[in-house]
Amino acid sequence: MLEIEGLSTGYGRVQVLWDLCLKVEEGEFVALVGANGAGKTTLLKTISGVIKPWSGSITFLGKRIDTLHANDIVDLGLSHIPEGRKLFTDMSIKENLEMGAYPKRTWKERRETMKWVFSLFPRLEERAGQLARTLSGGEQQMLAMGRGLMSKPRLVIIDEPSNGLAPRVVSEVFDILGSLHKEGITILLVEQNVRQTLATADRAYVLENGRIALQGSCTFLRESDHVRKAYLGL
Amino acid sequence: MVVIRDIIITGLLLGGIFALVSVGLSLQYGVGRVMNVAHGEFIMIGSFVTFWLFGSTIHLDPLVSILITAPLTFVIGWILHATLFRRLMDTSPTLDVFEGKSMLASFGLLYVVQNIARIIWGSQNYQVMYLNRTVTGAQIPLNRLVALGVVIVIGVVFYIFLARTRMGKAIRASSQDPTTAGLMGVNINSVLAVCFGLGVAMAGIAGSLLSTLYAIQTSMGLQYTVIAMIVVVLGGLGSVSGAMIGGVVLGIVSQIVTYFQPTWTLIAYYLVFILLLLVRPKGIMGK
Repeated sequence: MLEIEGLSTGYGRVQVLWDLCLKVEEGEFVALVGANGAGKTTLLKTISGVIKPWSGSITFLGKRIDTLHANDIVDLGLSHIPEGRKLFTDMSIKENLEMGAYPKRTWKERRETMKWVFSLFPRLEERAGQLARTLSGGEQQMLAMGRGLMSKPRLVIIDEPSNGLAPRVVSEVFDILGSLHKEGITILLVEQNVRQTLATADRAYVLENGRIALQGSCTFLRESDHVRKAYLGL
Repeated sequence: MVVIRDIIITGLLLGGIFALVSVGLSLQYGVGRVMNVAHGEFIMIGSFVTFWLFGSTIHLDPLVSILITAPLTFVIGWILHATLFRRLMDTSPTLDVFEGKSMLASFGLLYVVQNIARIIWGSQNYQVMYLNRTVTGAQIPLNRLVALGVVIVIGVVFYIFLARTRMGKAIRASSQDPTTAGLMGVNINSVLAVCFGLGVAMAGIAGSLLSTLYAIQTSMGLQYTVIAMIVVVLGGLGSVSGAMIGGVVLGIVSQIVTYFQPTWTLIAYYLVFILLLLVRPKGIMGK
């Protein structure tokens, strides 16, 4: 579904990603773990068209997307739920969700899609008219996820959804990711919470200094000495 | 008491015009970060198109001429953004650099537009005589009342546009976070061009109305640019509702000063401006 080959990119003259290859098959739940500054967020931003690649290719559903703008990529069914939620804080919850359905294809069906999103996140429905800024951290993350689903994506790439949340809320976020996966949505998850991530995803890549250091099934990675030492503190 | 009532009424009438003059600039800066120093020139274009249509053989009603000046100035603004400002934005490393470049470019635009207008209309004063009588009972000129009515209608329509329509929501989302709006599927370049066009169109409408209130001349633009900038900073940079409130505040200040000493109004504008920057540098509605 998503194929990345030989990808290099960065900011200004600083190279962040080095000749990176990554693949996500339809229906998979793939995780990308790594330390702060390893290039995880940069990779997601490059996939969704916020940052342009220097070289290499990104293919989504058989189509080259590395030259497209972000707004065209979401229209193809790839939704990026950004780090730090990035809600439109001066707009209501309902309006934030509507913005998620902005592509013409999904705008017409936004009311039905919103019902589906509300069924996943019932608390959002209770507060539909409130401004996004008035929500708690956990609720804001739910809204960011709900908004990302409003474009009816086939692939969701999600950046650090557990960041800054209480442990109980973190489990809730992982539960929701699990149930989205069961609904048939392909997921590429970036996380620093390595333990919970490896317990939820099918497969994972370990990113170190802008390069893939290790990859494999989550069961394999949980047993790897390197992962145990560097990321699980064992 | 009668004095206070009159000051408030005339202040509101003037403030409404100030608000309309400023909302467009606020929109251009708030969403697109274009510091459009040529804003007043589009007010001038609106005025002269209305004057020209009024004086022509069809003798078009100045209010009806808004139906021509608004779309005309919108298209001018849209084209300017799609060509000039978008290119400047693409070649600027950061938004701050773009802001500076946009100011210089619009400064050039100011002279180009003004001098073309001077070639056509010269530098003398013109006036559109329209509804130049007072309403019975009070001493309020009818044309000012009509102008305020138009301003209110435009304010309400614009508010509904921003609150309810798909494009309006895209504009609000883009003004808060353009990158994330792009992730939602918003084509940021087309939103910016529409915003700039709307800003110029508001200047054009303000120009049509102003031509019925004051004498117009091809060099009239700059004074309105200055007023708009004061109002926009007063209300909070980029805040549309702030520009509305700021316009009314400045209108009332202007009338209070005019009552005591008419020649001091410009001094008063700048005093209010400086005081506000000291006390509340982010403006009335600023965050």
